[in-house]
Amino acid sequence: MRARALDFTRARQAWTIARIELRRAFFAKRGLWVYALALLPALIFFGHGLDAKWRIERLSRRGLTDPALMNSVQKGEAIEAVKARLGKPADEYGGTRVRRVRKSGNNGTTTHVIDAAVDARFVRLNISRPTYNEEEVARIYEFEVYGADERQNLALGRPATGGAPCSPDRGPEKAFNGSVAGGKPDSWCAEDRPFFLQVDLGPARPVKRFVVKHAGAGGEGEEFNTRDFNIQVSTDGKTFTTVATSSGAGFVDERTDYRTLVYFDGRREGRYTFVDGKIDSWNTDHPLNFEEDRMIFAGIFQFFYLRLAIFFGCLGMFMYLFSGEMSNRTLHYWFLAPAPREVLLAGKYAAGLIASAAIFGGGALLAFAAMIWPHDAVELQAYWNAGGMSHAFWYATAAAFGCVGYGSVFLAVGLYIRNPIIPAAVLLAWEGAAGILPHVLQKISILYYLQSLCPVPAPMDDDVPTLIRLLAAPAAPASRPAAMLGLLLLSAVVLWIASRAVRRMEISYGAET
Amino acid sequence: MTVQAERANAVSEPRERSEPAQRRASERVGGSGGAQPPGVIFDEVSKFYGEVLGVNRVTLNIPPGITSLVGPNGSGKTTLMNLMTGLIHPDNGQILMRGISPRDPEALMRITGYATQYDTAPRWATGFTFITTGLLLFGYGRVEAEEKAWKALEHLSLTEAANRKVAAYSKGMRQRVRLAQAIAHDPELLVLDEPLNGLDPLVRAETIALFRTWASEGKHVILSSHVLQEVDLISDQVVLIANGMIIAEGTIRAVREEIQDHPSQYLVRCRDASDVASRLFSEDHITEIRLNDDRMGLLVMTRDREQFARALGRIALDGHRIDGVVSADENVDALYEYLIGGE
Repeated sequence: MRARALDFTRARQAWTIARIELRRAFFAKRGLWVYALALLPALIFFGHGLDAKWRIERLSRRGLTDPALMNSVQKGEAIEAVKARLGKPADEYGGTRVRRVRKSGNNGTTTHVIDAAVDARFVRLNISRPTYNEEEVARIYEFEVYGADERQNLALGRPATGGAPCSPDRGPEKAFNGSVAGGKPDSWCAEDRPFFLQVDLGPARPVKRFVVKHAGAGGEGEEFNTRDFNIQVSTDGKTFTTVATSSGAGFVDERTDYRTLVYFDGRREGRYTFVDGKIDSWNTDHPLNFEEDRMIFAGIFQFFYLRLAIFFGCLGMFMYLFSGEMSNRTLHYWFLAPAPREVLLAGKYAAGLIASAAIFGGGALLAFAAMIWPHDAVELQAYWNAGGMSHAFWYATAAAFGCVGYGSVFLAVGLYIRNPIIPAAVLLAWEGAAGILPHVLQKISILYYLQSLCPVPAPMDDDVPTLIRLLAAPAAPASRPAAMLGLLLLSAVVLWIASRAVRRMEISYGAET
Repeated sequence: MTVQAERANAVSEPRERSEPAQRRASERVGGSGGAQPPGVIFDEVSKFYGEVLGVNRVTLNIPPGITSLVGPNGSGKTTLMNLMTGLIHPDNGQILMRGISPRDPEALMRITGYATQYDTAPRWATGFTFITTGLLLFGYGRVEAEEKAWKALEHLSLTEAANRKVAAYSKGMRQRVRLAQAIAHDPELLVLDEPLNGLDPLVRAETIALFRTWASEGKHVILSSHVLQEVDLISDQVVLIANGMIIAEGTIRAVREEIQDHPSQYLVRCRDASDVASRLFSEDHITEIRLNDDRMGLLVMTRDREQFARALGRIALDGHRIDGVVSADENVDALYEYLIGGE
């Protein structure tokens, strides 16, 4: 009888302590980021809902399209035909993509013809951009000059000058030797500007056509072909006249026209992509997909909320329950109260638990509400009838139990270790690795029990990386009552360990006598 | 001593007590020795802070009344008080506070009030809420707690500042609010760490009067000070402490006499140490002589410094060569000087 009355007194004392501590637990300055963590999922889902609603509003503005018509688009249809059948699209966008492609069949050889033959004794090839890949090395395998009859290469074997060769065996004469088959030594190359080749035809004579054989013609890569150059002629070697200019020798621009038409039937958004006026591909998706949102919620709840938000939130709220007061030099007031240290521990833990469970349970419910808010009433009704309410309940419960578990762990850790970084890293690793531990060891991780409380298993499709799938999967989820009981037992053991530390704890504010 | 014995008897007489913990406490005391007055008992208590000594083998039996722990800063006064109230635990030895172990805060704190020197209060607290909140933990209802808090604030003339934040108090006011908190639940055992620090003369006089009242009610009032004169007039007994050790204990007069009677030690360097020793040993005031191993010096203990000096002079005149005389416990002498105030 007396023991009973005593226990009741202690419970009342613990509750008094908890009430005093609640203010600090809820409004600690260092705890503001806990609210940020708790509210982040709600914010994400609220943003997603707003975005989807805005998209639907925007797509509906031009009128809805018959779902059957949206399904009727056939392969090979032209853009005009689709527009004629489906009507004005909700949105249309597109553009032209320009791609430089190799002009087929020239093999790195370009020919430059001038309309009327001109007299020339000196012919000069000036290179301004030597390659396509921007390498500053010019190479010409052969430079041929033809007269009016276009039969004879007037430059063949003629004396030549040019920019300093890159090696002694690749002088300018190699570009006038009538051959390209000898590989690199059969070409002129230069590394220093100005890049030019000049040939002396002997007497001045009429010229009409020039053939330039670039790197490609000698067997090198197309990207080494000469890009921008011109050809000049002169009768006296002093005054030169430009007779031909080339940019992009051997390449042409390929233009492709892309257009996308967007149609909306009130639920589905169809995107039809046309290439050069012909349909290329199409897909439909739901701006608001309840099924998908629920899976995303399950994923965020398990991967972010339980593993990180509640973990670090509890770290912030519980770890400093004692050490925070030690550094504020106020802990002795508690130790001087007529209460066993265990009651003090219980009171402080209760305050932390009430605050964290309210913050994180509330955060979970708020996120859940933000997740279902944009969806239409019929869908929601169906979900509610199929146990939606219990989902909400179990999410909030799992969050609260997360606080029970992590709270006890961090309260105990805070009594033994002052610096949170190392224990946090170790615990995070332990909790993270729980999925691949032997079954017996899994039971001493908080996450094992929390996962069993979640109403929807975390999404585990092929998109999820193997490592995460491995880490996140509980080997054998416990039943809910077993999970709750297990978690409470685990927390009780941890709190018992904590109570041993609190009993031994001494006031040590430093520099005492 | 007789006064204290009377007071102790007064306490051991049964009084009306409503609190179950108090009943338990008195039961325990009763069980430990019947008519024995419930004192504050330290039995060979040592406390180390790591390698550093806090207090060493302290044995004390403090009867009810006003007791002052006096010692220089760093001597271990706060350590003793923290040990009494369970804020720290001894490494060796046993402590009983009116029969209750400090490891049982539930029982001890009901009868104990401790005003620490830690000059902190929770950020949210006003003088009034600070004390009221503390009282709620004693199980009082809110109304009763507020009444008691108000009474305590009245005792220390803090009612005007009651609703201001403690953080905004002056040093003296914070000292008073800590005192108020310590006495609010009407404890039988008050532990007050430098309680007169920072109080203005008026409040100081009132506070001392308060101590006297409590003492006359058979309570323990244990306070600390680093100035003996400060507590000289109000203390029933003093405990002198230095370097973590109790160096004297008792009524103020007894302590003074004890210090004066305390033998002084001198190191005497001389050639024929054994001869000198035998000459000295015939003097009445010499209590002990130890010869150095090298037979070139001796350690002498005397109850009378002046007579010792005269005796040494005579020996020198008789042709013994005395190379030097050094006080072996100059530090202890200086300490007494400091504590007693140059008497």
